[in-house]
Amino acid sequence: MNTTSATLAPVFTFLEHALTTAQTTFDKLPGSAVIQRYVKSSHQNDPGRTLLELILVIFAIRTLLQSRTRADRNGKHFIQFSEKEVDELVDEWIPEPLGHALTATEESDLASVPVIAGPNGPKPKLVSTGKNAINLSSYNFTGLSGNEHIKQRAIDTLRKYGLGSCGPPGFYGTLDVHMDLENDIADFLGTEAAILYSQGFSTISSVIPAFCKRGDIIVADRAVNFAIQKGIQISRSTIRWFDHNDLNSLEEVLVSIEKERKKRRAPMTRRFIVTEGIFQKDGAMVDLPKLIELKYKYKYRLILDESYSFGSVGRTGRGLTELYNVPASKVDMLLGSCAIGLASAGGFCAGSRTVVDHQRINGPSFVFSASMPALLAVSASEGINILRNTPSIFETLQDNVRAARAILDRVECITIPSHPASPIIHIYVRQQQQQQYLQYPAPISASSSHTSTSSSAKHHHSHHAKDAVRESEYELEERMLQEVVEETLAHGVLVTRAKKLRGQEIVEPRPSIRLALTSALSKKETEKAVNVLKTVLVKVLNKRR
Amino acid sequence: MALAKSSKSSSIFNKKRSSNAAGALPASAASYLSALSEADASARKRSGPAITASPTSTPALSLSSSITSSSEDTILHEHEYMSDPVLASNKDGLLLPLRPPTSEQVFNTVHTEFGHCADESFRATSQHKLGTPLAAHVQQDPPYYILLSTYISYLLLIILGHVRDFIGKRLNPKQYRHLMPGGGYAPLNSDFDSFYTRRLKTRMDECFSQPVTGVAGRTILLLDRYSTDYNHTQTLTGTRTRALNISSYNYLGFAQARGPCADAVEESIKRYGVSTLGSRLDAGTSDLHTIGEALVAKFVGTEDALISSMGFATNSTYIPALVGKGCLVISDEYNHASIRFGVRISGAHVRMFKHNNMKNLEALLKEVISQGQPKTHRPWKKILIIVEGLYSMEGTLVNLPAIMELKKKYKFYLYIDEAHSIGALGPHGRGVADYFGVDPRGIDLLMGTFTKSFGAAGGYIAGNKTLIDILRVHGHSGAYAESMAPPVLTQVISSMASIMGLQLPAETTSIARGSVPPMLEEEYHHPGPAPFSSIPAWVNLPPALASGKEGSSRIRRLAFNSRYLHNGLIKLGFITYGDPASPIVPLLLFNPGKMNMFHRLMKDRQTPIVVVVVGYPATPLVTGRVRFCVSAAHTKEDVDCVLKACTEIGDVLDLKHGIPAKDRWSLEEIMDRAVELGTME
Repeated sequence: MNTTSATLAPVFTFLEHALTTAQTTFDKLPGSAVIQRYVKSSHQNDPGRTLLELILVIFAIRTLLQSRTRADRNGKHFIQFSEKEVDELVDEWIPEPLGHALTATEESDLASVPVIAGPNGPKPKLVSTGKNAINLSSYNFTGLSGNEHIKQRAIDTLRKYGLGSCGPPGFYGTLDVHMDLENDIADFLGTEAAILYSQGFSTISSVIPAFCKRGDIIVADRAVNFAIQKGIQISRSTIRWFDHNDLNSLEEVLVSIEKERKKRRAPMTRRFIVTEGIFQKDGAMVDLPKLIELKYKYKYRLILDESYSFGSVGRTGRGLTELYNVPASKVDMLLGSCAIGLASAGGFCAGSRTVVDHQRINGPSFVFSASMPALLAVSASEGINILRNTPSIFETLQDNVRAARAILDRVECITIPSHPASPIIHIYVRQQQQQQYLQYPAPISASSSHTSTSSSAKHHHSHHAKDAVRESEYELEERMLQEVVEETLAHGVLVTRAKKLRGQEIVEPRPSIRLALTSALSKKETEKAVNVLKTVLVKVLNKRR
Repeated sequence: MALAKSSKSSSIFNKKRSSNAAGALPASAASYLSALSEADASARKRSGPAITASPTSTPALSLSSSITSSSEDTILHEHEYMSDPVLASNKDGLLLPLRPPTSEQVFNTVHTEFGHCADESFRATSQHKLGTPLAAHVQQDPPYYILLSTYISYLLLIILGHVRDFIGKRLNPKQYRHLMPGGGYAPLNSDFDSFYTRRLKTRMDECFSQPVTGVAGRTILLLDRYSTDYNHTQTLTGTRTRALNISSYNYLGFAQARGPCADAVEESIKRYGVSTLGSRLDAGTSDLHTIGEALVAKFVGTEDALISSMGFATNSTYIPALVGKGCLVISDEYNHASIRFGVRISGAHVRMFKHNNMKNLEALLKEVISQGQPKTHRPWKKILIIVEGLYSMEGTLVNLPAIMELKKKYKFYLYIDEAHSIGALGPHGRGVADYFGVDPRGIDLLMGTFTKSFGAAGGYIAGNKTLIDILRVHGHSGAYAESMAPPVLTQVISSMASIMGLQLPAETTSIARGSVPPMLEEEYHHPGPAPFSSIPAWVNLPPALASGKEGSSRIRRLAFNSRYLHNGLIKLGFITYGDPASPIVPLLLFNPGKMNMFHRLMKDRQTPIVVVVVGYPATPLVTGRVRFCVSAAHTKEDVDCVLKACTEIGDVLDLKHGIPAKDRWSLEEIMDRAVELGTME
């Protein structure tokens, strides 16, 4: 025992020496006194406390070092596999195909999409028939398409700017013509400023997430268009729906939100009402003055998508604000489409300078996308010029709308949800009519209408035609309407079923035929075309009466 | 579109030159004009009748009348600038080449849009050596003091910003009204969210959103502006400055207001107007779409393709049609915002892997396949890997051969975003697959944009027919978004056809154009010239373009310029990122203060150069950089000019932290050995 302690003595002396050296070096370090004092005071003769602090430090270091991409590794759901098991699982795994092949209906729908040879306009030529048809389906409200002056200005612009801008607006993609168009739009509508997006469809799905963040509240119409739905989805805001075009329902929702907020004493968040001017899905029109009143009363900001009302209603096509004589500056974010309203391309958001400048940094499809080709911007500017100076365009358009409605409103087998002034007219099959149709086996003409697909598909169809009774109401209506579309086209009038993304929408819209009237056709021509449609509607929908 | 005259003796660069572009003797505008018209006349003498279909005429010298007339226009066009004394001085060598061309040299492009460069030695091939692995990309670290000062700069900026906010809110509440709750409204923009924008970005706003005019070609006209209120508003002075443009995504130089492509676009406006008035499924499809989609499919080498009117929307509206709940998307951490947007909308689960790190990707694949879906552990329905061909901020190429290897083993689907690589990479310009020699049919989906290499707008997705038809029906754009406008489509078709070249009907002259047998379509081999029947009859490409010679010359010029600039910068001692083959060349600046300074110094040079500087949040905090986008439109002198500017400014701003000083080359040496630098891998 004595010998062991004797042999260990040098070790102890060495340890003691090392400890003192470490102590002195530590003392020499700047700030060491602070650490010492801290450790002493936190220790307080309680090893538990020190241990706790130590654990905290280790945890902090671990968190800092942990890789972000492998967060699941240590989750409680993680199962540890051996290398071999992993390999087996990898071998066993069979993925589904990347896409499920289209159904026969979808295929025939795709094949029946009209392809236009040459320019589109009031009377385009179709590739399938080689004949011209009266066009009641393209968005050409103002008849600007094919305008020679616009074409000439576009060519002049091409010769000065080339075609593409080759860059996003932030990096040398902002052309003077873009700024001009933005000013033209702001000036035309009477807002402080406007911002230009390079595609109409992407505009609102970018504007909504630019402002609405997690925790904010969006109150939206149940039947808003697809782009708005996607914008709302990506914003991750709290969403509350109100009944389609029912401002009383809106008010109820607004009141209930306010109540909830008071009850929970939640802090104030940004709140938005999102709706459309003329609804893409049914052509209904929102009561703007009432909406503005509600927005001010409950202190919401209004995001109004005028994609289908800008360039289509109002004395000079300024949209709903002009129609109802409401200053556009009362709408916080007013969106429109130059592609639809001005027969050019792109979309815009008009509003106050703050609203617009915010989007220049935060609107994803503004920041990360190349700016619009110069000649399209100039075409849109020219379009605005023409609208400003020719109110007769909208007189003609409204005459055509009235003429068309006068004919269609008297057809018994259909209902029309659209506003009487809307140049977009949706046609539903009257409910009871559709019931009648349901009782009988599918008409042969319905399957023969799919002849455009390959012969095997046709065979497939006639085979299934007998089972058609069992088809859902939805598909039946679609099929009836498709028959109307094809029959109408055979009589030289181009109409279209309202295309939608079935299964992807929040509320499945009813099948409909969508007309888009234009001032490029005279009243007579419009009447003639609508009469053709009427005859076909009556014939097809009453076939089995 | 320089018609390259290959005779060495006439090359302007072989003659001894005293100094670089900026200092060289400025040719007077008048003497240049006379030389050009002389050249024009001599060309006219030689040119035969304008036969676009004639395969016998040699493209280099024969000029169809359409070209001749366009070069007449060119002179007129440039004459416009001549009348402007400031723009016409050509002191900076931007407007006209510093040496007038010899009478044998015929250029039919406007020098300001597409530079004249006749020397065939300034060309390179964009191709990866088959069988060799892609070298791992090493990101070189700067010295510690640079890192430290960068962090300190940001720290200072942040502290200063908060101090200003604190004081400002009390002394000048008016300025902060839009950030404060008021009148029962929450602020539209919280001061925390906008802090970076207000306090850091605003300081360097002069680098962003610079308004421009004219063609974004080799040069660009800036609309001069100034700010009197610390960049809150900008005022235009009304004057314009012509600057060398090394910022636009104009890889193949098709941003042109003159030339056969623009002529075709003009014709299309006359024939089709400017809009198609609707979405693809709603009577907005024109025959041009059909033609364009078939051509795109041939170009990228897939069965079918679809065209969308906006590049961003191509990703954001078609990805949701591919994946959904129960699917997994594995995404590179540096993928573009549009991909993230699309994936978020799709509802699929997302995992990220480290940028281009194949080991990390494989480990992740093993993990996700063996673990299955989170919590339920059900197997994934499908796994889609989304990568970019060429990363726009890094200049790195995707490691495609390695991914294809992994694809065999792990059975995932592959989606490549070729927004920047299509046209710009590969010996035939067909993107990364072409560059690496991978069969494009092995890749499930190839997406790309027309904004960059084709001088147009919009995007495409290509793949097998079943898949593309699914996207046509289920993709959001098909039903709702406006379809691509006819002029844009025409630019796509004409530029793409001139990159591919047209396959002239075999025993030709006797066979009329319309009666080309459909057999040709079957026989199409990728990557080859486009069948003659695949473009509209009214698009008249002159022989130089129709033969594909011009297109291939552009690809080779771009390949040379990219390598030359990249390797030149490295030899000068800068830290760069990315692959030398990439036309995107990021040069690292690090400090936020240097970004603004670099931009300003480049712009204020005698030959102004406009650059793109990017910092946080587009890049990691410390690696602020300037990003050059090289174009085929640049001449070797233009790249010299950029290199010279960089080395001078680099000395001032202390940017040379790359290779050690003893290995560096002098600017003169770099310029003399350009061919070596431009062709080395």
